[in-house]
Amino acid sequence: MGEPLLVIHKIFSGYANLPVIDGVSLSVDVGQFVAIVGPNGHGKTTLLKTISGLIPVRSGNVVFAGDDITNQRADRTVEAGLVHVPQGDLLFPDMTVRENLLMGAYATERDSDVDARLADTFDFLPKLRDRQDQIASTLSGGERRMCGIGRGLMAGGRLLMLDEPSLGLAPIVIDQIYELIDHLKATGRTILLVEENAQRIFERVDRVYLLDNGRVAWEGAGAELMRRREVVDVYLGG
Amino acid sequence: MDVWVQIVVSGLTLGALYAISTVGLSLVYGSMNMLNMAHGGILVIGGYTAFAASQWFGAPAIVSIVLAMAAGGLVGLLIFVVTAAPLLGSKNFETNIFIATIGVGAVLENSVLKVFGPYVKPQPVAFPGVLMLSGVAVPYQNVAILVVAMAMMAGVAALLQGTRTGRAIRATSQNRDAAQLMGVHVQKVYAQVLTLSGALAAISGVMISSLTSLSPTMGGDPMLKAFIICVVAGLGNTYGAAAAAIAIGFLEAGAQYAFGVRYGFASLLLLVIVVLIWRPSGLFGKSRIVRL
Repeated sequence: MGEPLLVIHKIFSGYANLPVIDGVSLSVDVGQFVAIVGPNGHGKTTLLKTISGLIPVRSGNVVFAGDDITNQRADRTVEAGLVHVPQGDLLFPDMTVRENLLMGAYATERDSDVDARLADTFDFLPKLRDRQDQIASTLSGGERRMCGIGRGLMAGGRLLMLDEPSLGLAPIVIDQIYELIDHLKATGRTILLVEENAQRIFERVDRVYLLDNGRVAWEGAGAELMRRREVVDVYLGG
Repeated sequence: MDVWVQIVVSGLTLGALYAISTVGLSLVYGSMNMLNMAHGGILVIGGYTAFAASQWFGAPAIVSIVLAMAAGGLVGLLIFVVTAAPLLGSKNFETNIFIATIGVGAVLENSVLKVFGPYVKPQPVAFPGVLMLSGVAVPYQNVAILVVAMAMMAGVAALLQGTRTGRAIRATSQNRDAAQLMGVHVQKVYAQVLTLSGALAAISGVMISSLTSLSPTMGGDPMLKAFIICVVAGLGNTYGAAAAAIAIGFLEAGAQYAFGVRYGFASLLLLVIVVLIWRPSGLFGKSRIVRL
């Protein structure tokens, strides 16, 4: 087991008058593939936004690579190596695919590093090389998702947080996205994945956190969750 | 033939002037959803800074223009620090900043009134002489306005398309959260945009006052026309605004020739009404619903 990369200790957060995250603690070790699952609207996306600094932490703390990054600005969190691929891509719609990818490496100072990462990303996602001059808003749903993941890879961070990369996609495209994620895992990347469809991740992940009403209702190994049918039935609708 | 050359020259000059006034305003709205009502005030500051540099300190034209741009940029930055930054997280940012910048505009105009007095003054930063073109005398002033406008638009386009800062500005305008997640310091981008917009407004103030004259209220008319152009182009579309500014310059020059000078502005208002009925989001704009 690797050393802890991300450690979250009893964090509370939410929107204006709406508390959402209610004392969540979790940790992700170097090289681990961890998933957060749970029903829709129970705080998974809010949790990722809180970790990356888009939503303020009301209490508790977030430690990344040994540094306390609680309530650090989102742009500084990226510089620290924590990369968040948001739900629904959030691509820059009027930019080309190439420009979107280059934005992923915005925090990277050296041009040679950016060029190398762009070449690696194109090797990893060859379709993006073919579409590099296409305006992002004209891509298909699956291509957009790939571009979003590619943009995350361009940041070259130490932890990749993926927020429901399969949301709204056709089953065949979801398969492609998970092939990509498997490939990422095989390269040793540390991944924190948010997913509503638990069936997809049971066998893939090292650890699962089940989020219910902003709290961790269950945690354990992916394979163990698969055996706990009552948990799956109650929280994930079978 | 002479008449057509005259209309083309007038249209191009007006269009170029409008483009300089409008691009900064459009850039700020496109990036921040901020209608900067102090834009006219910055324009006044620019005109009077060039006046002071030239008249009081004997600075050459180019130095006066650069100083005016620096002053305008500084005022833009101050507007960010004093009004935009504290309001950024507020619930009704667009409404709040609209009202706040009306106040800032009044402060700017009245400061100029206090320092320079209420009387109309000639702008000493000017380019005298005429160029003969197909029998039509084209003042060098008009040529200078065209050259400045083209240089400025090329500069803004190069910045937006070809630089890391420009990409960050475009990214922030297209999706603020995503830009932050890429490592863009959004507040810094906003400060840069308002500084740039201020510098552009200032140079526009110098050019407009060199064609007409200086007065503390000279910013009102160009700002109104800049808003009209932004509405016609679609709020926040910077390239569309530049194109619409040139087209509207021609329309105004043509209407003035065909129906008389007093119908020039009326023709613009008519155009706004037609565009708002036909395409409420502007010629190049995208539909968007905002609650004010």
